[in-house]
Amino acid sequence: MTWGLGEGVYEVFARKNRGEPLRHIGYIDAPGDELARVYAWKTYDEENWFEMCVVPRRAVIPVNRLEGPWARNLPEGTE
Amino acid sequence: MPEYTEDELKARIRGGHILESPDEMTPGYRRAIIVQLTVQADTELISAPAYWLAARHAPSTNTQVSAHAIIQDELAHANIAYRLLEDMGVSKEQLVYGREPHEFKHPYGFDQPLDNWAELVVANGFFDRAGITLLSDVHRNTSYGPLKRALIKVDMEETFHLRHGEVWMRRLARAGGAATELLQRCVDWMFPMTIEWFGLPDGLKRHSGQLDYQLKGLTNDELRQVWMSSTVPLCESLGLSVPAHYDEGREEYVLDYPFPCQYDPEAKHWLFDDGEITWDAVFERWKGRGPMNEIYVESVRRSRGTVSAWLN
Ligand SMILES: [Fe+2]
Ligand SMILES: [Fe+2]
Repeated sequence: MTWGLGEGVYEVFARKNRGEPLRHIGYIDAPGDELARVYAWKTYDEENWFEMCVVPRRAVIPVNRLEGPWARNLPEGTE
Repeated sequence: MPEYTEDELKARIRGGHILESPDEMTPGYRRAIIVQLTVQADTELISAPAYWLAARHAPSTNTQVSAHAIIQDELAHANIAYRLLEDMGVSKEQLVYGREPHEFKHPYGFDQPLDNWAELVVANGFFDRAGITLLSDVHRNTSYGPLKRALIKVDMEETFHLRHGEVWMRRLARAGGAATELLQRCVDWMFPMTIEWFGLPDGLKRHSGQLDYQLKGLTNDELRQVWMSSTVPLCESLGLSVPAHYDEGREEYVLDYPFPCQYDPEAKHWLFDDGEITWDAVFERWKGRGPMNEIYVESVRRSRGTVSAWLN
């Protein structure tokens, strides 16, 4: 049996205060962008974030490393 | 697949090397970290229904809200650990929905019913402290970068759970009378339960690879000592008796009862008088699982079918 909620992985970025860097703080699975926003806000509620955003993992394109979590997003034919 | 052998990887790790992705893992490393993360994820997940059923006994709406905040944290912690496993090619779906309840890897302590508010807060004081003892050691020592970073948030929140437990234990201890008696009864079954949670003594420990690959830093006995070094003084300061004391000569905490020993889950009672048993007998009891095993597992997954039916 497949339950299939069609979830994708989202990387979560947040900034604690003005003037601070936007940092990668984690990742969540969600069946779409709207729920990704909710899940990220509810999952990573350990700080009062000034700013948080989510990026679908498939949108992250690695530049110098050919392995790692984003390797499958390398443009075709990359060597 | 990496081009180094198991021994070469272990040597690199001893030199401070941090792995950043599953493709850098050798088969031995992968096996060891999957076991570690499965135990971690299952423990976080099953603590949620255990605390949720107990939160019904919260003495007020405010306290129920703080109990539910803890439950929400635990579900987030479970999710984070399962997500790390998924990056290693292990299916979260299969782990959560495809196993029999007895195949989950959480400790026997989380197969027990928490029947009142005192048991919930002692669970926060004892079980969450065991969690933070284990996980802060992993955080300090793990050679897997993504796990090290994920644990920053988890440790912060576990500290909050632990404080919740301590504050309430103090309140119940000060109240005197029936409240204090109830608190002592919780301590009587939950203290040895947590001691057992840390597993086989070092002398008997089978080799798991978790220390060789630096997935953790301290041994089972060392972790048990760390847990006792904060739990015993806390209980003593509250006037609660615990079956352990600090031995000046040995410079360590010593248990005042036969360890390991048998447990009667129906009576929530440790059979100290029956003496020491073998670890095989303990594994037998763990394998048989505790009274709430199926109820807890089913309670976290029962609404899944309904929700997917709405959406598909
Ligand atoms: Fe947790
Ligand atoms: Fe916790």
